[in-house]
Amino acid sequence: MMLRITACLIMLILAACGPLNEGGTGVQLGQAVLARVAGAEQPVQQSAGVPQDALLANPGKYLRVNARATGRWLTMVQAGQNGSRVTWIDSSNISLTLENGIVVATRGLPRDLMGSDVSQTWSAIRAGGGNSQRQHDFLTDIDGISTELLQCRIASQGPEVIERLQKTLNSVRFEEECRGEGLGFTNVYWVNRDGGMIRSLQAISPDAGYLQIDVY
Amino acid sequence: MRRPVFFATSFFALIAGHFAVAQDAGVTYSLNGTPGLLDMPTAQTAQEGALAATIAYAPGLLRTTFTFQLTDRLSGSLRYSLVDLYDDPTSGRLEGELERGFDLRYRFNNETTYLPAIAIGLRDILTPNRFGSEYLVATKSIGDNLTVTAGIGWGAMGTRDGFDNPLSGLGDRPDFDEADPEGQLASDYWFRGDAAAFGGLEYQINERWGIKAEYSSIAYPVESFAPAIAADSPFNFGVTYRPRPGVQLAIASLYGNELAVSGSFALNANNRPGMSGIEPAPAPVKVRTAQERANGSAAPEAALRVALTALLKIEGITLTGLSVTDTTARVRYVNGRYRSQAQAMGRVSRMMTQVMPGQIETLVLEPEARGIPLSATTIARSDVERLENQAGAAQIMLQRSQFDDADIATDLINVRPEAPRWAWGIGPYFELNSLGSDGSVEVDTGITLRGVYTITPQLVLSGAIGQSVLKADKADPGIDDTPDIQNVRSDSGFYGDDGVPVLRDLTLVHYARPAPNLYSRVSVGYLERMFGGISTELLWKPVGSNLGLGAELNYVAQRDSDMAFGFDEYDYDVVTGYVSAYYDLGNGYHTQLDLGRYLAGDWGATVSIDREYNNGVRVGAYVTQTDLSYDAFGDGSYNKGIRITIPQDYLTGTATRRDYDATLRTRVGDGGARLRINGRLYDEVREGHLNDLSDTWGRFWR
Repeated sequence: MMLRITACLIMLILAACGPLNEGGTGVQLGQAVLARVAGAEQPVQQSAGVPQDALLANPGKYLRVNARATGRWLTMVQAGQNGSRVTWIDSSNISLTLENGIVVATRGLPRDLMGSDVSQTWSAIRAGGGNSQRQHDFLTDIDGISTELLQCRIASQGPEVIERLQKTLNSVRFEEECRGEGLGFTNVYWVNRDGGMIRSLQAISPDAGYLQIDVY
Repeated sequence: MRRPVFFATSFFALIAGHFAVAQDAGVTYSLNGTPGLLDMPTAQTAQEGALAATIAYAPGLLRTTFTFQLTDRLSGSLRYSLVDLYDDPTSGRLEGELERGFDLRYRFNNETTYLPAIAIGLRDILTPNRFGSEYLVATKSIGDNLTVTAGIGWGAMGTRDGFDNPLSGLGDRPDFDEADPEGQLASDYWFRGDAAAFGGLEYQINERWGIKAEYSSIAYPVESFAPAIAADSPFNFGVTYRPRPGVQLAIASLYGNELAVSGSFALNANNRPGMSGIEPAPAPVKVRTAQERANGSAAPEAALRVALTALLKIEGITLTGLSVTDTTARVRYVNGRYRSQAQAMGRVSRMMTQVMPGQIETLVLEPEARGIPLSATTIARSDVERLENQAGAAQIMLQRSQFDDADIATDLINVRPEAPRWAWGIGPYFELNSLGSDGSVEVDTGITLRGVYTITPQLVLSGAIGQSVLKADKADPGIDDTPDIQNVRSDSGFYGDDGVPVLRDLTLVHYARPAPNLYSRVSVGYLERMFGGISTELLWKPVGSNLGLGAELNYVAQRDSDMAFGFDEYDYDVVTGYVSAYYDLGNGYHTQLDLGRYLAGDWGATVSIDREYNNGVRVGAYVTQTDLSYDAFGDGSYNKGIRITIPQDYLTGTATRRDYDATLRTRVGDGGARLRINGRLYDEVREGHLNDLSDTWGRFWR
């Protein structure tokens, strides 16, 4: 006990301590300052503990996600299913929910996509192209929901070969151009012959940027 | 090594329209801490919700200013200045006199292609208003980077080459009176006396660098009790540097003979640096199959309790009560992590979908604080399943949820974990204490060792021992300038100055729910640094109501200034109490009215109004007026102040219930003084009620 109190007194220069003060003011600020000094970019995690063999040997088990804004790589596993929507999560507790490979929600990114309706986009891809309307909900800085209605045009860009982990995959590339009042983006999808999305580049929010999603 | 990206990112740049406002560089701040040139204002306003702190130093004048842009057009500033004065009658110097000032400014219109923005401002509106000035000012942009400002000022801003007042019908401006009691509205000065013209230019060279030049209408005349600042020339020049949004550094040449430096730090309540938060993702909802809904196996209560307790612990939430009937599961919990109780509800309901038997369809969530339930929110499990990650889910969930008082008649099974009853913590403290009734203050800092013993969840013994690292002067109160009134606050600086550990507080506190919509508190012991005794409180506040009504009754005695256990030194005891009304006005405005008897035995009222943002940032003001005469009160006239609260998660994005708060008082007087008690009922209760829940309901699914 005395040792803890002594250590605690020394730590007081930086922070408060004791069970009543866990995660206290000083600690959190210290972390915030360190994060700033170290820079915003996260170190690149090539495979986050999952070797390539495991990725290839377990089709459907893993997602590999690259956050373009930070260059950070995430490896995700399936954590839940609600109808046709599958939620994937990584070891740092960032989650991504996909419906037919299209992102419908995220949690743990700087500006999460809280929920969305993207059903028309998938129909347009299945039809080889077309128009769709999307609705995206974002969490605002004052804890409300801001809704963006987006008008989108989906067009096939023709076949494209993807090289991934020494494997060659045939796909059809689609681009979806979306415009709304406060937001615009272009998503890209690579869909295989069976209608499965094997790779995509999808916008989340201005603060979270684009995610490249590889489905193994 | 980073993998090669397979696209040029710029091609796919997101186009963000209204998301981009946070990046706006915005206005620059003057040495006065308001949007402006150097010593002169402009008609520009900061963005609504901007809160800026500016510290500016020039020889003989150190100013610290907090400016808050309350609405798009109205702003207020609170300023503490340390100023050298010419003394009376020798015109020697008084060094570093502390002055408090309050400004208001209103912009009439938006700038258009041809019409400048025009604003009216009042500087230092409270007596003795040493810097008291009023002005009308117009500012016009020319192109994107240049602004031109011209205006007319009265009072201190009318002292250089002043001319007859265009509003001469208002009459003469009274002579400045050093003896004016501090803190009353100086309305008999406004827009009277000579007026003078001022103006200036500001040019923004690039995003970071800008230059300013102005012609100042303040002459700083050599007079008794006037600021001892030499002003040889009316021209001031300055450079501003903004290394990052929200930070401005400036250096200026003032009046031909002085150099000034300033730093301004601004944040906007509407633009959260922590954005939408980076706390871990919640558990996905576990959806029941049709078969599970129909005849899910009923798990034994003990197993449910263990499972749910473990799951909620992951979320920093402590399960304290549980009751499961045929189709309804009722839980009571303490949210130890999330500022938003709505977010905690979302997390609890997700966890309940993991373990509750399939036939459970109704979830009743009861947040608890201080051992008592705050409300009961009833949601349908099938809604949680159906709405997860859907567009519009938050709004629909709010509409379909039901908000009531918790059922205090039917007990839940107590499932509180076997937590240690003892807890302790060591932490720093900082405070400003007044020294006698002349208005001077001192800073104190030190460490506290706090111990808490939980007898029952509703009955808690808590105490703190403090050791100052600054105070060991053993000073005694000097001559009492206000002998007609007990020094209930003005001797604060003499408390605990013996250099030894002191008892900061030691209390036994009990909370209860005597009846539906009613909440009660009893606190006994050494309640705060200066007073001990008993404090009781009763609050009526229905869950869905905008209105709350409270009553507080205290009997306390003034503690000895050694902050040990005695009450002999002052031999002063008093019955104090209030009836209070709390009202949520909507649109982020909250008000409180207290009527009653204050610590010095004076009768009166306190009015508070707070602008609260749904993310927890609050800026408020309060004024207390009692039946004490201004003479009996001494300087300050009445008790008033500004309070600011900034939640930690606003800054860091990490989930926590902690916040930073500060009360900036113009002066601590003995009139209108209240007991300083933590855990007053309204603050404990409101976060579980409908208005506060719906304010942050966007976080339900986060």
